[in-house]
Amino acid sequence: MALLELKDVSKSFAHAKGNLRVLENISFTIEQGEFVALVGPSGCGKSTLLRIINGLMPPTSGQVLYQGRQVDGINLECALVFQSFALLPWLTVKANVELGLEARGMGPAEREKRAGVLIDKVGLDGFEEAYPRELSGGMKQRVGIARALAVEPKLLLMDEPFSALDALTAITLREELLDIWQAPDSPVHTIVMVTHMIEEAIELADRVVVMSPNPGRVVNDLKIDLPRPRDKRTEAFNALTDKVFSLIEERA
Amino acid sequence: MQRPIIELRKLLDWFISFLILAGLLALFFQYRHHIARPPRLSVNVHNLPYYAFCSFYRMFVAYLISLVFAVSYGLGAAKSPMYERVMIPAIDIAQSVPVVGFFPAAIYFFVALTHGSRLGVEMAAIFLIFTSQAWNLALGVYEAAKTIPRDSIEALDAFGASRWLKLRRLLIPASVPKLVYNSILSWVAGWYFLIACEIITVGPAHYQLPGLGSFLMSAADKGRVGELIGGLATLLGVIVVMDICVWQPLSVWAEKFRYEFAATSEPMGSLWMAHVIGGLGLAFGHAIHGRLNPILRSLQGAWELRPALTPRGRVWLARAAGVVRLGLLVALLALFAYGAFAGIFALFHALARPWPAEAKLIPAATAASFLRLAIAYVISLAWTLPCALWAAESPRFNRVVAPFAEIAGSMPATALFPLIVVLVIEVTGGMNLASVLLILTGMQWYLLFNLLAGTRQVPADLKEAARSFGLTRFATWRKLTVPALLPSLITGSITAWGGGWNALILSEYFVYHDHTYQVLGLGALLDRATYATGNSVMILLSLLSMILAVMAINRLVWRRLYVFAMGRYKLDY
Repeated sequence: MALLELKDVSKSFAHAKGNLRVLENISFTIEQGEFVALVGPSGCGKSTLLRIINGLMPPTSGQVLYQGRQVDGINLECALVFQSFALLPWLTVKANVELGLEARGMGPAEREKRAGVLIDKVGLDGFEEAYPRELSGGMKQRVGIARALAVEPKLLLMDEPFSALDALTAITLREELLDIWQAPDSPVHTIVMVTHMIEEAIELADRVVVMSPNPGRVVNDLKIDLPRPRDKRTEAFNALTDKVFSLIEERA
Repeated sequence: MQRPIIELRKLLDWFISFLILAGLLALFFQYRHHIARPPRLSVNVHNLPYYAFCSFYRMFVAYLISLVFAVSYGLGAAKSPMYERVMIPAIDIAQSVPVVGFFPAAIYFFVALTHGSRLGVEMAAIFLIFTSQAWNLALGVYEAAKTIPRDSIEALDAFGASRWLKLRRLLIPASVPKLVYNSILSWVAGWYFLIACEIITVGPAHYQLPGLGSFLMSAADKGRVGELIGGLATLLGVIVVMDICVWQPLSVWAEKFRYEFAATSEPMGSLWMAHVIGGLGLAFGHAIHGRLNPILRSLQGAWELRPALTPRGRVWLARAAGVVRLGLLVALLALFAYGAFAGIFALFHALARPWPAEAKLIPAATAASFLRLAIAYVISLAWTLPCALWAAESPRFNRVVAPFAEIAGSMPATALFPLIVVLVIEVTGGMNLASVLLILTGMQWYLLFNLLAGTRQVPADLKEAARSFGLTRFATWRKLTVPALLPSLITGSITAWGGGWNALILSEYFVYHDHTYQVLGLGALLDRATYATGNSVMILLSLLSMILAVMAINRLVWRRLYVFAMGRYKLDY
């Protein structure tokens, strides 16, 4: 059974001037253990789709089935990583990472242990008592990732996680993300990442779902068969990049 | 085509809130009993420390109640658009009611309830101080809650955080910077109106509490300048100590809660000594926290060990909590509905009585007061704007001016009156100038506070760009500083005019040495009706006129200017 299935999901927002149709008839499935990238230009509703999957907002029509059952309200087996990091400025790194666990009612001692493990895993060992304003962008996103992984989600949802970082930091973080995901003791096995960078999608994902804007529609669903670690300079990689680009172009 | 309908709805909301509040004010006139006149308290300079303590504890209790009110009201309004429609206009209106307007409520509720006992009068005084402090605190919380970045809310929601966790980790911490800043302003307003709150009078009913306020009043009344200065010095001492030991450390601590995009600015003014004592205060706080922490942790651990409810138990608890919440809501709504209808009925009933001849003066009085306020405003602007421009240039000046402004703003105008009498009235023979000067004291500091806060928010890189392109100082002011200050100027003006209208009751009517000094003005009419004649119709009419005048000017002038300023001059890029 697929972990996540979207059936004809559509979303409209009520506006002063009428209805704004953001997503139209989105359908695809996600299997356990996959890394799926949602690629498209701005305005194709990718971030909205992610929030619908998470349960933060309901679809206007269509169904979101998680493990065969309809999603109703927040799906606590998902965790979200934000483009803007969304850390609370008045909490230390440790407290921020513990936030999801605190929400689940975990005891303080256990929270601390789990958070410690994850802070280690993302390479922020020693920064537990630092505040977000003292951290660089890359470090802040590491905290965001640690926070999401702390609750051991079955599905990790990432909303343009590296778009707010400089190119060099983003390269490092992508590699680290892959390392964490591919490790045998990884806390998460399935990832859905939204991005507007085609190369990032092809470098990381098993499958690329291409979307077109106004309203958001699924244009194509490409399997990326290249072995990891992937080299950007190979012909196969470039061919895929071109293909995705042309798919987006012809619908633009 | 849609716009006029939306405006009409807002107007309707506002009108209904106004009607209800006016009704509530009128309601308490109904409960007039014959209240025995309590003996006059003797005022003695030797008791000054005791008076200082009394006034301080009243301010403190009122502040705590205001804090609880502000957090619940502000967060409640921010959460639900339905409540927001009613709650925010209600606070708007409440802000325009001068403290004198709450006297009937204070007397006929608290005092009558306890049959004129001392406790009742204390509660009345605390209630009155509360009305000077609570509204802007609530608005601060509301604004802070509405500007929390959506991402933070989504992050907590996505983790399935309970309502309590959201409150504890997000909503309350996010309100802290605004709360601290507005608390300073609330205390300033509280001290300023302290005299009015410790001497509560409606016609024959007259109550006086021991405290700095009544001491200053009595010293002023008897013309004892020495005592007056002593009282002011004590007040000054209390305010300075509070500033150094409480507000400075709190402002520093509050910086921790700022979101980064709100320009990290220096805390509101810090004298070098404040740094030392503030540092000591922080160290002290840390030590206590260190002692408390293990206790808190073990308490928390014990709490976490509580037997987990079975799923059925949890459902039951949720249901029970829901029933209790619903019951409270229904009770509150019923009480509110009763109060609203009884109030509106009382309002019409009270206004149906014959209007006194004085009522004819109201339009002219309103115009006269408005003119005085306008003059005071222009004078305030004339000196606060250059002051702010200088502060924008020199951070050191900025650091010194802010606490000075805070302290000066807390000095009650009434206490300054004898000096003004001597200096102004005896020289020029006119009360008009004196009353403009008194209004100034209630207006200018708010303008200065806001302007100073605005100067701290001009981004450093814009200043650097101006310098690197060789702009002269004057050109920088014209192109950068003044436009950047425009939003703060407007919010400061709104607050200043609000303070000005409230200060009318202290500036246009004064009894000194058995001589009544007054001018033609709305404040004078209200004061005369409250303190001298006790005519309830007159009190209501002047009160309502003042509320309407404030609201009309706010809506027609200030809101429009604010929208314009925010549209064009807001710093976000």
